[in-house]
Amino acid sequence: MDQEEIDKVVLAYLDKRGFKQAGFAFQQEKQQNSKGSNTSSTAQIDPDIAKQILAFSEVDSPAQYQEGYGKLRSWAYSSLDQYQHELVRVLYPVFVHGFMDLVAKGHIQEARSFFNSFRGDHDVIHSRDLQKLEGVLSPSHLEEMEFAHSLRQSKVNIKICKYSYDLLMQYLHKSQSITIIGVINEHINFNVSPGQPSSIADDAEFVSLFGSGQDAANLINQKEIHWGLLEDSLEEKLEKTSNMDSEKGDGELREGDLEENKKRSVDGNKQGNSLKKLKKDKVSNATAKASRADNVTVSGAPRVKPELPLPVIPIEVEHSILEDLRNRVQLNSTALPSISFYTFINTHNGLNCASISNDGSLLAGGFSDSSLKVWDMAKLGQQSQNSLQGESELTPNQNMSSSNVGGKSYTLFRGHAGPVHSATFSPFGDFLLSSSSDSTIRLWSTKLNTNLVCYKGHNYPVWDVQFSPMGHYFASASHDRTARIWSVDRIQPLRIMAGHLSDVDCVQWHANCNYVATGSSDKTVRLWDVQSGECVRIFIGHRSMILSLAMSPDGRYMASGDEDGTIMMWDLATGRCISPLVGHSSCIWSLSFSCEGSLLASGSADCTVKIWDVATSSKVSKAEENKSGSVNRLRSLKTLPTKSTPVYALKFSPRNLLFAAGALSKQP
Amino acid sequence: MSIVPKETIEVIAQSIGITNLSPDVLPALAADVEYRIREIMQEAIKCMRHSRRTTLTTDDVDSALGLRNVEPIYGFASGDPLRFKRAAGHKDLFYIEEKDVEFKEVIEAPLPKAPLDTAVVTHWLAIEGVQPAIPENPPPEALQMLSLPSDNRKTEVKEDGVPVDIKLPIKHVLSRELQLYFEKITELTVSRSESGLFKAALSSLATDSGIHPLVPYFTFFVADEVSRNLNNYSLLYALMRLVWSLLQNPHIHIEPYLHQLMPSVMTCLVAKRLGNKLSDNHWYLRNFTANLVASICKRFGHVYHNLQPRVTKTLLHAFLDPSKALPQHYGAIQGLASLGPNVVRMLVLPNLEPYLQLLEPEMQLETQKNEMKRHEAWIVYGALMRAVGMCMYDRLKMLPSLPSPPPRAVWKSNAKVVTTVSNKRKASMDNMTNQPPLKKLATDSSMGGTTPPNIGAVDPNLQSSTNNNMPGSSGRKEILGGQRLLKTPAALDQAWKDDVDPRRVLPLLRKCFGDSMLPFFPTPEASLFL
Repeated sequence: MDQEEIDKVVLAYLDKRGFKQAGFAFQQEKQQNSKGSNTSSTAQIDPDIAKQILAFSEVDSPAQYQEGYGKLRSWAYSSLDQYQHELVRVLYPVFVHGFMDLVAKGHIQEARSFFNSFRGDHDVIHSRDLQKLEGVLSPSHLEEMEFAHSLRQSKVNIKICKYSYDLLMQYLHKSQSITIIGVINEHINFNVSPGQPSSIADDAEFVSLFGSGQDAANLINQKEIHWGLLEDSLEEKLEKTSNMDSEKGDGELREGDLEENKKRSVDGNKQGNSLKKLKKDKVSNATAKASRADNVTVSGAPRVKPELPLPVIPIEVEHSILEDLRNRVQLNSTALPSISFYTFINTHNGLNCASISNDGSLLAGGFSDSSLKVWDMAKLGQQSQNSLQGESELTPNQNMSSSNVGGKSYTLFRGHAGPVHSATFSPFGDFLLSSSSDSTIRLWSTKLNTNLVCYKGHNYPVWDVQFSPMGHYFASASHDRTARIWSVDRIQPLRIMAGHLSDVDCVQWHANCNYVATGSSDKTVRLWDVQSGECVRIFIGHRSMILSLAMSPDGRYMASGDEDGTIMMWDLATGRCISPLVGHSSCIWSLSFSCEGSLLASGSADCTVKIWDVATSSKVSKAEENKSGSVNRLRSLKTLPTKSTPVYALKFSPRNLLFAAGALSKQP
Repeated sequence: MSIVPKETIEVIAQSIGITNLSPDVLPALAADVEYRIREIMQEAIKCMRHSRRTTLTTDDVDSALGLRNVEPIYGFASGDPLRFKRAAGHKDLFYIEEKDVEFKEVIEAPLPKAPLDTAVVTHWLAIEGVQPAIPENPPPEALQMLSLPSDNRKTEVKEDGVPVDIKLPIKHVLSRELQLYFEKITELTVSRSESGLFKAALSSLATDSGIHPLVPYFTFFVADEVSRNLNNYSLLYALMRLVWSLLQNPHIHIEPYLHQLMPSVMTCLVAKRLGNKLSDNHWYLRNFTANLVASICKRFGHVYHNLQPRVTKTLLHAFLDPSKALPQHYGAIQGLASLGPNVVRMLVLPNLEPYLQLLEPEMQLETQKNEMKRHEAWIVYGALMRAVGMCMYDRLKMLPSLPSPPPRAVWKSNAKVVTTVSNKRKASMDNMTNQPPLKKLATDSSMGGTTPPNIGAVDPNLQSSTNNNMPGSSGRKEILGGQRLLKTPAALDQAWKDDVDPRRVLPLLRKCFGDSMLPFFPTPEASLFL
């Protein structure tokens, strides 16, 4: 231990504090000691105490604030998810008071740089406060400014659970940054509560302690977003053509109907059920047309231009989409959908995810043994039909030709080197994307049955991947706390969305492809602008990790489901929760809106599919909001239990037939 | 820091050879260990969620370790959940049992069966919002339970003033599959009840969860067929088997249809004529139906309190009506007997003597010339004897265990005696039924050949006199049993509580049935025998 140094520090301290006499006495003593050579008592100084003294000497150096705060910040952000939000709360008071301490001591320049280097963390929630504080440029300002003055006077109350508190104390003890300990001791009052950490939703209360209203907290949510649908969409075209059709008269329509009927009968048994309904619809053709037109105008959302260059849809595909649109079954609270359930059997607990193509004809399953298997349900259906016919009508030829090779009914895709966590079909079913623990995303062709591209960009397991509604682009979510936007023709991501405080667990595209929503283990949902890569909305309210997201087809609403079985319906424009949907008792694996947005289907680990009424309740809630502002609950229309099969995936076909998939699990 | 105590760290340190760990290090290490464990579990839970599971597996922990760049823990990869065992003598110490595996066994063991390959099956979970009752969907009871809370919600919504959609009552529509199923089953029942296919159909009826909508149809089918085909023995038998299977099915809710089903079943038990040929074994059908009735009463008796009283009333009427045919009496007796010994004790025993007087002339060659009728009478007699005997046995076995079981050899000889007696009785019926019990006893004992004839036991003092006259070494062990019973009157009183005095009943039974009653008296061996 350097004796000289310690002495210097002590002297400097005494000098600064104005203890001149003491300083003089100290110096005298020192001189005496140096005369008395080795018999000095200071030589026996405890190294610990020496260290403390030395550390204390650094209090004054402004760089300490920056360093200490930086360490605390990175420690808080890398702590356990469960306690993270509580620890992060400590940061803001430390930041504000650290800044004001610096200012008070006259280190204006350092205070500036400190403020600027960390303000980004708090801009989201506290931007108004920060704007005020930005103007503080001299110690006198602190006295004059009411806000700063009140902050200096009062202590901040922070509610924190026992374990978080212990963690914090442990850290502070270890880090030995006296500056930060000093700030925390001086300005923060901890209310330590036993038990589990409080919910993140309580952050709002914490914010209000600073005197700024809810508006400030939601400042980010005031950014403008254009949730309207795309211009020139096929729905619009249909509207035009149908209007023209109705003008042209009935004769032509009937012909068209006949043709359509023929086609549909070819379509096979899958759509059979909706067919019946369709025929009913056809009987009252005029009324159906009228109601359809109504429907279009009801969902007549504002139109926006796409911000991404979108792929051109081939004519044939366009035709088939138009066809589907014409033949769509109208669903509402009285007309519930038919649900076709695909059950995986003999999965040996290995099925990690399931995905259904838009038309329901393809089914993909991702397994923990790194394999990806795709079933062609249309073929499967034909086979069974054929075999039935073979029994009754004796058509052995067909039977032979259609029998599968090797007894396998699926196509196996191998390539991943870790459990496959997510799979998604392109809108027309010709491509398949899968994401895996091996931190890669792979693109497969369902036509060629082969791997086309391997996208390496994430550094950790990729939890979710989703094709955009128009194809070509896709979004991924990963354990590395980012979501990324990709296009199929590039192996590098186009955008990286960073901001979540924990894993990004799920991702979903907005109907107009301009936004992407992500759900995270930090219990928030964020909406990102694809073009700028900025976060434009934060949805706070869930109490556990978000597992599934769905966007309404009219682009106005979003539904999110969490680990506890709560579903929340959000209004994208305001960023507020319309209503929580309570009913499930376990994880929500999947959510899906019906094609005209009137129903929401949810699939859960409690082995049920629930159908929720969206149309009436959202209307009512709007009306009620105008009147009284009371929150209305969405109605659960139907609960459909399965036989011990958790529901992994749900998908409404373009004709509003609901497909569901799940793995049969053994009964306990 | 609570979860990991310091002591644990100390123990672990010692286990890896660090003995001089300073006490200051322990709490710091404990805190860090807890933090690391929490971290690993947090990641493991994320892995579990992203594998769409709700139970944590060792694989999840391994992949969580992988995420943190830690080598996984080897040796725990298995599909089965780990079984922790509690260490003996410790409250909260658990361990995983590891068995020693012989290399040789592993190498020589045949290859296990390849696991079944993953496949996909499809079904309709709902058709226009209505869940079809097919085996792939859960049974309707589960649906009803689920629908209850939704009703509450509906009313709640009503209060809010939101319009409620009123649904019209839905017509009962049977799916095409169910219709086909019903047709197949009924056709099998009517025409091919002997085939193996019918057995398969019965087992399907007993297990299938989706056939609930068919229950009313089956009920009607059974009732209709029974009333029209009383002379078709095989059909009746098939129908009763069908009812039996339906009752076995745990998924269907048959209570509302019981009142329609019971008359048909009772018909098959106590009808005058079942079948039209001599070869038709209607006795068997009656036995089967008696068991069926008993199982119904047992299962639904607590739900419908008047079910068993009504059944017993019907049976008793059939039993006591002298104008009814003997097969009807037989059915009634079998039905009553299958309902349990208590029923027999309450209803049959009091009427035993007068009934036997009625039956006696039917059984005798002199009074009943018709061979058929006499045969029937004997069968009824046997059934009656069995019923009463079982009742007696049930009563007596409740008594405290009887002292000193007799030697086995003696019992054997006795059994021989009894069988020979009954054979003989069949051969020379007049001899047996007409003679007073005294005489019978004499013949029996002479056959046993061990004891001299015992004349003294004529009157109600029978027991006491036998007691005097017969030493323990004699072969008349059953009587001894009876005597022992009398020696413990307290126990007997307890057993018969409200009933007739056993002192009267036992002689009565002896009088009515003679020694063939004796095997029903319990002894340790008898319980084996019966």
